[in-house]
Amino acid sequence: MTTDEATKPEGEVQAAALAERGEDITPAQDRGVLKIIKRPGNDDESPMIGDKVYVHYKGKLANGKKFDSSRDRNEPFVFSLGKGQVIKAWDIGVATMKKGEVCYLLCKPEYAYGAAGSAPKIPSNATLFFEATLPTFPLILQVELLDFKGEDLFEDGGIIRRIKRKGEGYSNPNEGATVEIHLEGFCGGTRFDCKDVKFVVGEGEDHDIPIGIDKALEKMQRGEHCVLYLGPRYGFGEAGKPKYGIQANAELVYEVTLKSFEKAKESWEMDTKEKLEQAAIVKEKGTMYFKEGKYLQAVIQYGKIVSWLEMEYGLSEKESKASDSFLLAAFLNLAMCYLKLREYTKAVECCDKALGLDQDNEKGLYRRGEARLLMNEFELAKCDFQKVLEVNPQNKAARSQISVCQKKTKEHNERDRRIYANMFTKFAERDAKEAASKTGVEKEAEKATCAQGLETAGAG
Amino acid sequence: MAVDELQAIIQRCQILEESDFRGEDFNLFQVAGQKCLEDGYAAQLLEVIQNEKNKVIIKNMGWNLISPLVRCILAYKQEDDKQEHCLKILDQLVQLCNPKELFLGLLEQIEQTSGEQVCPTVMLLLQPLQTVLLKLQNKKAYSVGLSLAMIMNQLTPLPVPYTKQQIQEDKLGLCRCCNAVVDFAKPFVNEVVKNMEKSSEYNNMELKEELLKFCMKSLKYPLLTAQLEQLEGIEEHPFRHFATEIIDILQDIRELMPLVFLHHKGRRSYWENQEFEDIERKNSADSLACLSYLMFVQHFGINCFPMVFSPSYLLQCNMTHIEVLLNRTEESMLSKGLDLFESCLLRMEDNSLSHQYLEFRDFINVPQDLVKVMTLCPIEHLRKKSLNMLQLFIDKFDAEGKYTLFRCLLKTSNHAGVQGYIIQKIKDQIHLSLTKAHDNIWFTGHHLISLLDLVLFLPEGAETDLLQNSDRIMASLNLLRYLVIKDCESDNQTGVWTILAKIEKNFLKPLHVGLNMSKAHYEAEIKNKKENRREANKSNTVCSLTVSEEKMPAMTTEMQLQVLHSALFTFDLIESVLARVEELIEVKVKAVMAENI
Repeated sequence: MTTDEATKPEGEVQAAALAERGEDITPAQDRGVLKIIKRPGNDDESPMIGDKVYVHYKGKLANGKKFDSSRDRNEPFVFSLGKGQVIKAWDIGVATMKKGEVCYLLCKPEYAYGAAGSAPKIPSNATLFFEATLPTFPLILQVELLDFKGEDLFEDGGIIRRIKRKGEGYSNPNEGATVEIHLEGFCGGTRFDCKDVKFVVGEGEDHDIPIGIDKALEKMQRGEHCVLYLGPRYGFGEAGKPKYGIQANAELVYEVTLKSFEKAKESWEMDTKEKLEQAAIVKEKGTMYFKEGKYLQAVIQYGKIVSWLEMEYGLSEKESKASDSFLLAAFLNLAMCYLKLREYTKAVECCDKALGLDQDNEKGLYRRGEARLLMNEFELAKCDFQKVLEVNPQNKAARSQISVCQKKTKEHNERDRRIYANMFTKFAERDAKEAASKTGVEKEAEKATCAQGLETAGAG
Repeated sequence: MAVDELQAIIQRCQILEESDFRGEDFNLFQVAGQKCLEDGYAAQLLEVIQNEKNKVIIKNMGWNLISPLVRCILAYKQEDDKQEHCLKILDQLVQLCNPKELFLGLLEQIEQTSGEQVCPTVMLLLQPLQTVLLKLQNKKAYSVGLSLAMIMNQLTPLPVPYTKQQIQEDKLGLCRCCNAVVDFAKPFVNEVVKNMEKSSEYNNMELKEELLKFCMKSLKYPLLTAQLEQLEGIEEHPFRHFATEIIDILQDIRELMPLVFLHHKGRRSYWENQEFEDIERKNSADSLACLSYLMFVQHFGINCFPMVFSPSYLLQCNMTHIEVLLNRTEESMLSKGLDLFESCLLRMEDNSLSHQYLEFRDFINVPQDLVKVMTLCPIEHLRKKSLNMLQLFIDKFDAEGKYTLFRCLLKTSNHAGVQGYIIQKIKDQIHLSLTKAHDNIWFTGHHLISLLDLVLFLPEGAETDLLQNSDRIMASLNLLRYLVIKDCESDNQTGVWTILAKIEKNFLKPLHVGLNMSKAHYEAEIKNKKENRREANKSNTVCSLTVSEEKMPAMTTEMQLQVLHSALFTFDLIESVLARVEELIEVKVKAVMAENI
């Protein structure tokens, strides 16, 4: 670390050099941000709006006084580019940089902290900076662009967004909003789709638009133009899309412009009557998707019923009956969808909720049985199927499922036995080795007693 | 004799192997030891414990003495020899006893204490507990976490000293205790720091999580409730010190920045279950709000805060916290919320905040919360500050933002005073638009007309309660007067002349009717009161009024008359402004007609 004394002349020299030779990079060409490249980048690509950007930087006032440095904190500074998260000079400056580049930026207050300053380190320009040698250029930033990557919309790598043109404002379409977009779809470098289309978010499938676009739209703003990289799960999935000649599990790239949208009403904006009317409509829609095997889309529709009606209170008797029947249907159908999507825990949850409304529901019990069977919980599954038979002794499917359960339990037990037999021999061998040094098991025992004691102490 | 009994059991055990101690030996030892302590033979007990020969016995059985020992230490006065002996015994036990059992023994003591005893007990046992924890081999992270959680849970019911006097007095010892707890945690923080430099082991993560939980808990209690402004005459403000230490810990374990920017980073989640995650988020909302307050208002830990964030982004990040704080009713939290809001707003330049920020729900909610504080909070300085903050917030927005805010506040605030204030602000903005060279479409022309629709009308027509709405009505009349004076009919920049007929129908006419009705009503009432003066004095009051549990004295007829007269005066005032406005309108309309002829 250099001291203030040592950097002072350097700071002034830099400021003077920048003021003289720096390139004006402001869109307004008002010399508000001047840039000199200290070390060119090693890559030709620049970050795009919304990208997650990693930089190291050092900030100085024009008098040379250092006010901030990411190196002091020992970790790169990370932010989303072009979203107004950082001072303007940065959003402008970093966008011009290439990976690996180091540059100096000289910024006027309008592009930094403004007249107000930023307490406690950056005084307001009125009080201090007019005394400095270069009063109009109070800030020098040395920035090194370490890395950048597209924004990972759901933190699962499934949808990566890179914004070409930023949208306006901060509101996004919600599920059920009507959007007007232009899109172009690419797969393996060839364009398979290009159209202007108006549809309801969550129902893109009606227009051969994969679910990932629906999800991404909920994070876009009016006027935004972006590139979306979709993983298979958010694309056309296992089924592919024969219409476009797209194979199973293909990765897709879309360019999307959100031209306009109209938000759907939030749950709190609707009254009960409206909710019940809408519930009938979305139930139909959900069923249509389900029949076509579009389970993700069906989940969205049924989910709406749950979000509208699950917490609704103060209903009349008639409304409450209608609401319960919608909810029951929604939960049962959701359970079915989740079974198809192989999300068994969620399927069980939905069945539980359905059974909460109607404890002897045959479908609810049967589907929970199915889900549990697939989760290898054979005993619980068997119980469910037995209950189905109690409700409806004619249910042949349940009867055959019980025998499946029994068979599986048996198979499972045998497999377990084989595995454990192996394990026990291995354990025995290890124990023999460890008996000499006398550690492992004893420690385990100690741990167990300690844990026991602690729990009672905590509870007592 | 207690000492003899103790000697007996000791002698019996001295010859036994460790593994041969029986349950009844433990009992006998405990009973005899306890008796020694209760009868005041601490010195003798100390001797027994210090005896090298008894080492094994003490190692196994000693922890049983913790409970009576703590009781004795707290009962004796300081400087008492016996207390001195007891402290030495405690010290010995910590050295000699089996860490596992001793740990549980100590924790049990902390768990069982309550009320005034909490702080002294915790202070007494922190040091021993720390020593024992450092000796523990297994489940250390878990045990440290358990200890900290237990201590904080015991402290939480205690009232937090708030005034300077209370802090100095520190009656229950909370201030000292909190800082002692931080010292207690320090070795574990160091351990995490050291291990982080080496590698990221799994076990280490656990300890770090426990410390993080402790910090979060501390931010919520006592810090959120505490007074954290610097106090004159107190050199080392105990809670400021505590806050610095907590922030230091967060910084050391590198959790400070992730916490401050929690919501935009999509933080890793510990819970698979969404419900648990929601609960955790709710629980941490208070703590995070306090953390933001400490950083941005008190500037604790600001040194490691990146300075390159834009002021509007910082405001946006803090809005959630401000909303959380303003929704509370306690003075400590409301004032923290207002201070945090102020510090964020002061970073911004006037007119620089885009109206688009109002699309964030908290940007609309917070001004409404401010109105609630302004109108409902019983604490005067907070009401005043809320008003100032509302003003500051309005100042920061661009014209469209101001316009949207005015609309929102006119619709949502059911308070004539606030509405009157907003109407006055609208007038200021119109004035700026008319006088400044650059044109401003939001406070002239059709945008303004739709805003005036919300201002120039009586909420319930002629039946509106004029007295209750007088602030609003006066402000509206003033605005109208300004408009007709400033804006000529030929220019009609504001559009007021276009909607004149509507204004007359919705506002001026019903106001006339209302004034006549109200005046007649109040005059009749006065007449009535005067005639029945004697009678009224005799009659019992029908109802009584209590304000903050204090019964208000019944109003005398004189007082009632006074109130009625002041109401009449208000009506007169409204009427005179109304007359003036109508006169101005008439003159201008006539002038134009004359010109046209």
